[in-house]
This record gives sequence, C-alpha cells and structure tokens, in this order.
Amino acid sequence: MSKIDDNQIHNRLKTLSQIEPSSESTGRAVQRTRDALLNKENAHQYKGTKIWRNIFKNPIIKFAAAAILMIGFGYIGGRLSAPQALDAEELRAALESSLRTSLEPALREGLTKEMNERWQAAFAANCAQLKDELQLQVRRDLMEFATQTLAASGTMTNQRLMELAQLIEAARIKDRERIETAFKQIEFNQTQLGKSLLAIASRKNELLDIKEN
Amino acid sequence: MRDRQKELLELLDKSGANLYALLTRLTLREDIAEELMQELFIKLNKTNRFDKVGNRYAYARKTAINLAFEWRRNRKLNRVGLDQIPEPASNGISPLNTLIRTEELDEILNAIGKLNKVPREAFVMRYIQQEPYDYIAEQLCKTPHHVRALCSRASNRLRHILEHNQSQSFIKETHNVKNRRQSNPQSAQDPLAD
Repeated sequence: MSKIDDNQIHNRLKTLSQIEPSSESTGRAVQRTRDALLNKENAHQYKGTKIWRNIFKNPIIKFAAAAILMIGFGYIGGRLSAPQALDAEELRAALESSLRTSLEPALREGLTKEMNERWQAAFAANCAQLKDELQLQVRRDLMEFATQTLAASGTMTNQRLMELAQLIEAARIKDRERIETAFKQIEFNQTQLGKSLLAIASRKNELLDIKEN
Repeated sequence: MRDRQKELLELLDKSGANLYALLTRLTLREDIAEELMQELFIKLNKTNRFDKVGNRYAYARKTAINLAFEWRRNRKLNRVGLDQIPEPASNGISPLNTLIRTEELDEILNAIGKLNKVPREAFVMRYIQQEPYDYIAEQLCKTPHHVRALCSRASNRLRHILEHNQSQSFIKETHNVKNRRQSNPQSAQDPLAD
C-alpha cells in the first residue's frame, strides 16, 4: 500500500492555488450575478419574505400558525401510522390461504364419502355375478390343486414302489449269497467227512492186518 | 435600490473576482463556479445575518467555501453520467494527463471537504488562496498562532483522510480482482486464452 507524502499534498495544493479563471469568464460570472441580484423576481421574493416577516411579528398569528402546523403534523403522523391500503395481490394470497385452511378438510371428507358410496353401489349391483365368478374360480383352483396333488402322489408312490423293489431284490441277492455259502460249507464238510472215513477205514484195515498177523 | 442590494453590488464589484476564483479552485469547473456565485449572492441577499456581520467579505467567502464543498458532497452522492459532462475543447494537454490531474485534485478537495468548518476555512485560505497567516487571523478574528495550529491540525487530518481513502481503494481493488478471479477462473488462469 502506498502512502501519500507531504510533498504530494503540497504539490496538489499548489496546483489548486494556481488555478485562475479567465478574465472573460470572471467578467461573465460577475455580470450574471449582478443581473440575478437586480432581477425583479428576486426582489419580489425578498419583498414577499419581508411581508411574511411583518405578518409573523404578531404573537397571535405566530401561535395560530404553530397550532396549524401541529395539527398538520398530527394529521400527517396519523396518515403515516394508519394501516396502509390493502394490496390486491396480498389480499388475494391471504384469502386463498384462509379459504384453503377452512375448506380443505371439509372438501376432502365429502370427496371420501362420495367415493365410498359409489364403491358400495357398484359392489351391490355386481354382487351375484361376483359370487358366481368367485365359485367358478374356486372350483377351477380346487380342480387344479387336486390334479396336481394326484400327479404328485402318483409320482411319489412310484418312487416308493421302486425303492421297495430295489430293497427286496437286494435282500434276495443277499439270501442267495448266504445259501451258496452254506452249500459250499456243507460240501466242504462232506469232503472232510469222506476223507476222515477213508482214514478210519484204512486204519481199521491196518489194525485188522496186524491182528491177523 | 435597497441598502442590502447596494452593499452586495459593492461587494460583488470589489471581491467578485476573488470569490469566483475561489469557487473555481474548489469546484474545478468554471460553469459550476458561475452558478454557485449567483447562488452565493442570492443567499447573501436573503440571509438576515448579513446585516449583523462586521466583515462582509469574510462572511461571503465562508459561505462560498461551504457552498462549494456542499456541491462536491452532492455531486459525490449523485454521480453525473458521461452525457451530462460538457466535453472540453482541446487545450494541448493529453486527455489522460488531464484526467489524472483532475482526479488528484478532486481527491484532495474531497478530503478537504471532510474537515471541520473552521479549520477548513483556514486551510483553504492558507493553502489554496495562499493568504498569509496574519491576514487569515485578521479575517477569522483569531491570533496568527491559533491559525497556524488550525492549519497544522487540518494538514495532519487531511493526510490521515487521504491515507485512509487510499487504503480503502486498495482493499476495494483487491476485493474486485478476487471476485473477478472467482467468477471467471479460466480467464484468470490463462488471460491470453482468448
């Protein structure tokens, strides 16, 4: 930020002091001022002021003028402090808001009531038809449900039967295997028995031979 | 012809040129000075105090100074449009220099207008009218020492007002530049883009 110094101020003041209007303009200004002073209208104004001054020298007139002024100020003050003329737009907005506040709930209630009545009348007129349609719809739904249930139960029964058959087959295969094993054991025992009998017979023969000898 | 008018005409003949020069210096406009000169004498013609004052010229000068600074204040409040400013005839000086000079003189005159009435009158008489302290003291009915003190205080106050005005204009300019940058950041970043 630059600061203005004293030299600058003095230079500017010096420049100001050196300003001189031209003699022509000075003469013109003086002449016009003289004309203005000598003007009759100006003199008349002065005379008028003088007359007024003389009139107001009387204290009663002064008091009356003061009273008139006071009444005037009072009137102006009253006019200024009185509520101002209503603005049409503002009035419209105020009316609109107040009407909306008061009428809106009643209108809404009436509208709801009318709508309910209309719905009830329409419902009563079409009640029989609605009943038939409802029965048909229920029947159709039940049929479909039964069909679906039957199909589902059949499928499930088949599945269960197949499972049972598989279980029976498995049990039969197991029994066969056990029987086979038993037969093999019996055959093995018979073989062993035969061998034992042969051993016994040979031993008997040997004993007999020994005895004979 | 009434006495008042006669006295005023005598004053006009004797000191009209001085008063006109003073008004021209304070308004920087000859046309305005002419109007104010007429207004001054009409005002003097109407006023009651004019008969009671001893030094008529001092009273007229004081009124002229007040009228001129009042005009400056009103002009500041009601800025005139460019179409209302009379176009001056070329006088050989660069228009830019004339503008700067007028701006500077306006600045100092507006600052003088902010001084109190008595110091302002003393200051104007001393620095604009270039009157000696003794003469000013005689005109203002004060001692030369008192007039010196008044002028000194007025000078300090004037410097303070001018500095304050400059700082205010600096802050204003900075604020304007910031606003311009914020409102148009692209051009602020690249001023040669266009």
